[in-house]
Amino acid sequence: MPFILDTLTTPELPSPDCPRRARIQLDLLLLAIEALDLGGSEAMLSTARDLALDGVIKGRVNLWLLRSTNPMRRYSQRRPMSINEAKALVVIISNLSRRLTVLVRQLLLGAQQLRDRQLSFDHHLRLADYLNRFRTHFRARMNPRRAGVIAYSTDERLDELALQLLEQLLLCSGVLGTQRLWSSLFDGEVV
Amino acid sequence: MTVKRQYTLPYCNLIVEGLNANANDPLSPLTVLMNAECQLPGATDASLTGGREFLDSLVAAVNHYGQQLLSGVSRPLAAPGTPPPMVDIKPGETSQQHHLVVRQQPLGSAPVDTEALPPLDIPLTTVQFYDLMEAVDQLLADTQTLPDLTARIQSVSRRLVKPAEPVAQRAAPAALGAAALAAAGLALFFVPPPEFEPTRPGQESDTPAETSGSSATGDSPLVVDPDAEGQEPETLDLAPDDAAANRDDADDDTASDSTDTNDDAADSADADAADETAATDNGSGDEDASTEVSTASTTPSLSLNDESDDDSPGTLPTQSATGSGDGLSPLEDTIAQGDRIRQLNDLLRGNIAERLEPLDADTELTYRVRLTANGDIVGYEPLNAASARWASDTPIPDLVSTFRGSPEQADFRVVLTENGVLQVSPWDGWPQ
Repeated sequence: MPFILDTLTTPELPSPDCPRRARIQLDLLLLAIEALDLGGSEAMLSTARDLALDGVIKGRVNLWLLRSTNPMRRYSQRRPMSINEAKALVVIISNLSRRLTVLVRQLLLGAQQLRDRQLSFDHHLRLADYLNRFRTHFRARMNPRRAGVIAYSTDERLDELALQLLEQLLLCSGVLGTQRLWSSLFDGEVV
Repeated sequence: MTVKRQYTLPYCNLIVEGLNANANDPLSPLTVLMNAECQLPGATDASLTGGREFLDSLVAAVNHYGQQLLSGVSRPLAAPGTPPPMVDIKPGETSQQHHLVVRQQPLGSAPVDTEALPPLDIPLTTVQFYDLMEAVDQLLADTQTLPDLTARIQSVSRRLVKPAEPVAQRAAPAALGAAALAAAGLALFFVPPPEFEPTRPGQESDTPAETSGSSATGDSPLVVDPDAEGQEPETLDLAPDDAAANRDDADDDTASDSTDTNDDAADSADADAADETAATDNGSGDEDASTEVSTASTTPSLSLNDESDDDSPGTLPTQSATGSGDGLSPLEDTIAQGDRIRQLNDLLRGNIAERLEPLDADTELTYRVRLTANGDIVGYEPLNAASARWASDTPIPDLVSTFRGSPEQADFRVVLTENGVLQVSPWDGWPQ
């Protein structure tokens, strides 16, 4: 097992696999990264290689299968997500979000200013771009018939989700961000 | 030596002052905290200061709230009665707003009860909160400053999490179900229980004998229903009077039903009940075996009975011809002479023994066989399901004759044990 994963303690879960909420959360955070960064999916794979996690995330297909454990997905996989795979994804997410911190801060501050002035998000070019791309990704990949997806049927709800994910990316970009994200995945799940 | 460590982020300055562990070594870690100061430029001009208690409380509050923002799972509130923490962070009206609530001693004034003072409420945006959290995290991760202060990041236990729905909402479906059940129970309490009259094979077999005299409905003579044979042998012990009385009741009800159909609603309930009873009787009597599935389908003997009917076609017509039905009718004219009964008993045993072949039956088979005074067998009836199933393998059906030479008849009990032993005895016991 890669050394970097040892920094994350394995939670005491009733079952050995990742809980449902954790799988959804990880996939959505990766989706937000993709919407932020055009080369996001490529960056995930290269980060996995850089951190010597390619033993856990074995290439593009494997990553896709892992992300498809999200039950909201159009082509959702029934395979479980192991704790080690989840750890690897958490490390990759916080690593990428650290690289994107500056951009994330800009977008969040921009959104705050627009809200204060009661303007729509379209006035911030980069923010509108992110929101638009997130909506496109989300609608292309999520199963519109799932109850969890129906809740995000409008543009406003999706923008809210995108901004919430942006905040969460910011929160897990700090020095202890990896641990915080990892621990938050199992809130209300540990025995 | 006094050391000052500063963690600077755009929206947060965290300054920690303290003493070195080793006064002579400038590189030794800061272990004794003298003062902690937190400035939040952009959020408030006030500077939050305090000692170790303040710093610990700040770290705990940031820890909890940061995780809550990430997971969306709120931590349970502290047990009532405990003093509110010095530093607390609460969500604001919108998801982008947060409130940093601090209860601290004002600088330079006499110490007062901190709980009596209104707490300092500082609104924070998410980015400002992030800077505060990051400053705290950097302090936590810094091994040169307060090494004993470490992050205690833990997931919220399943037991502590409040369910998504309040108890009242979760209990509503169960309560609704219970209420509906109670209401239904109450409503049905006033509905009279349906009077269920199990189909009486013996009773039906009476009918042909009585039809000519008593049937008010004009029912056709009831046909023998071999499938019901042996289903309820215990009812055969019914006294003839009872059976006749029941039958009469049914007939009367049917008659009243046919005449009162246009009567008012008060009568209709009774009429319905009567109708039901009558329908049960008529149905089981009129219909052939195929509609009798309801009574016979539970036992596997149904199909076997059908086969046995095919194998020995003589059984059915014989019995129907003699009016013995699926049970035997009560004897009208019994043989009184003890000697005659003994003779008939011997005759019957001889006839059966002559033709008896080894049976595969694994239980005792018992039949009631009716003989005329001349020794002709006019009918028989198996007394349990096994007997009905194996009847066609016994010689008894072959012995049944249509000839009715004498009105005087007597019943005999024929028992074939599983060992193949034949026992024949008069139904009412040996004559004195």
